[in-house]
Amino acid sequence: MASSKASRLGEETRMDKVNAELVVLTYGTIVAQLCKDFDSDYVEVNKQLDKMGYNIGLRLIEDYLAKSNTVRRCANFRETAEMIAKVGFKIFLNITPTITNWTSDGKQFSLVFDENPFADFVELPDDGRAQDELWYSNILCGVLRGALEMVQMQVEAHFISDVLRGNDTTEMRISLIRYIDDELPPEDD
Amino acid sequence: MVVYSFYIFDRHTECIYSKSWLPPPTSHDGSAAAAAAAAPPPPTTTTAPHTTASDNNNDAKLIFGTVFSLRNMVRKLGGDDDAFVSFRTAHYKLHYYETASSLRLVMLTDTATPSMRNVLHQIYINLWVEYVVKNPLSPVEHRGGRGVRNELFELGLDQFVRGLM
Repeated sequence: MASSKASRLGEETRMDKVNAELVVLTYGTIVAQLCKDFDSDYVEVNKQLDKMGYNIGLRLIEDYLAKSNTVRRCANFRETAEMIAKVGFKIFLNITPTITNWTSDGKQFSLVFDENPFADFVELPDDGRAQDELWYSNILCGVLRGALEMVQMQVEAHFISDVLRGNDTTEMRISLIRYIDDELPPEDD
Repeated sequence: MVVYSFYIFDRHTECIYSKSWLPPPTSHDGSAAAAAAAAPPPPTTTTAPHTTASDNNNDAKLIFGTVFSLRNMVRKLGGDDDAFVSFRTAHYKLHYYETASSLRLVMLTDTATPSMRNVLHQIYINLWVEYVVKNPLSPVEHRGGRGVRNELFELGLDQFVRGLM
């Protein structure tokens, strides 16, 4: 029931659209430039993409909250996953990744991207290393980390497979580390 | 409806914005000490409260302490989904709205005003998100109110609130 509610919320939210190819090309340029700047040190490129995403996520969450009209907090992490996949990704990228591979404690899940709007027309550099080291869409991990931190969830997110590398699926693993407590006002003296 | 003042507190419990629509203070009538002890001072138009910076700062702290305790009490009694909406005294009504990102909006109005929850929500989505969050020059953390007092936000808020009165 909660899941159908989430998908309806994602469908109903009206968003201004931009040309998909503009997004693909802009993102591709960023990644290409990073590869150049860091001399094809792909580990560093992954790190930079994650950092950029994190800074985007910190702001994007407010836009998400304003647009999605969510009235209350998610009761548990499963509900959070539903909202990420069916509302968040739907309104910002117009895709709905599949939620799967939950661990039994309900703290880790995977998002499987059947389509990835960032990866159209993309081929990883043919230098023998990019296929093993570069996570092309790593910015998304940062976005989720930043956005969830603002709503008091500390998470860890990373890709574990990518069709660009020749894997069968594109899969991101997200684990809840902890819920962040409310900050208290400083003691008055 | 009369709006007296408006405050924004960030998730670090800091007051990052405050604005008053009260007329500038007239001569003090000796009730300053009593007013300072009350949290917050009764904002009646006849005895305009002091508006020096440090007093404002103090008011904001007292208001935050009050709404934070109330919110925690309400959640304890009514469950985590419960939210405290407003409280009323003989002189004013305080309206409260909190987002999932722990931004807290507080508005003080006269006692006859109906719920301003929707108004505060509108301020959040139409002014805060549009003019502060999406402003690339404004920092993510607004320590000391940095990036909040930009022209578009100030103007938008003033127009919106005056439109209500």
